[in-house]
Amino acid sequence: MFTLVIGGSASGKSEYAEQQVMALPGRRWYLATMEPWDDECVARIAKHQAARAQREFTTVECYRNLPALDLLPGGNVLLECLSNLTANERYGPEAGGVARVLAGIEHLLKTCAHLTVVTNEVFSGGAEYAGDTLAYLKDLAWLNRVLARRADRVVELVCGLPNVLKEAP
Amino acid sequence: MIFVTGPLFAGKKEYVCQALGWSEEALSQKAAWDVQDLAAQAEDLEALADDLSAQYPVLIATEVGGGVVPMEPAQRVAREAAGRLACLLAQRAETVIRVCCGLPQALKGELL
Repeated sequence: MFTLVIGGSASGKSEYAEQQVMALPGRRWYLATMEPWDDECVARIAKHQAARAQREFTTVECYRNLPALDLLPGGNVLLECLSNLTANERYGPEAGGVARVLAGIEHLLKTCAHLTVVTNEVFSGGAEYAGDTLAYLKDLAWLNRVLARRADRVVELVCGLPNVLKEAP
Repeated sequence: MIFVTGPLFAGKKEYVCQALGWSEEALSQKAAWDVQDLAAQAEDLEALADDLSAQYPVLIATEVGGGVVPMEPAQRVAREAAGRLACLLAQRAETVIRVCCGLPQALKGELL
């Protein structure tokens, strides 16, 4: 099973995704993709870690190159989030691009029982962006569409409420 | 008229072609997209909405009002006009579809 959760910032998508994964039996992995670049990132990571501490997730920090990740098979994986991973694979050291993001998702789908991917809705604020931002958005939008097609379930979060865009028959 | 809206790069044109069995050529003849860009120059948005609705069976707009209010006055005006035009087109449409991540949702009427 593959679930894609999309939403704007602070739309409640993380909480929703975590609740969904909590309801599944078996081991739970949390794939954290945010690289601690600065104090703000460190604080944000600490906040998310504290929230997860009481829920039984094993956190794995993975900033790029998901295809090389070796997880025990059969667990439930929550990947948060696709927008960070895409940026890391676009700009970071040894970046692998969208192809490696997709290969990483395929790799996870082969290994785990249930994959949940959280991604961001950052496409409703116009197209006037400086520098490389628009090219990055194109990458992320392409991945969102490909994964939405691949997913069994796609849910958009609005004000903490799930708007189901796709449900497996 | 069918009005299709949704975020940037959401696969709106692709959806219309797929749902209606249109080629890209058919799309370019029977649909207008990025209509939000026409709003800023229009003197009369109601008239623009009437003209577009009469001219094309399918109109496609990108949602542009979801960010922070722009600093630039011209951009503020353009964004305001774009949102208003979308409302006017949705009023005139029999069917309004929102496409997100390539997935359609009917906001008015039925899915294509």
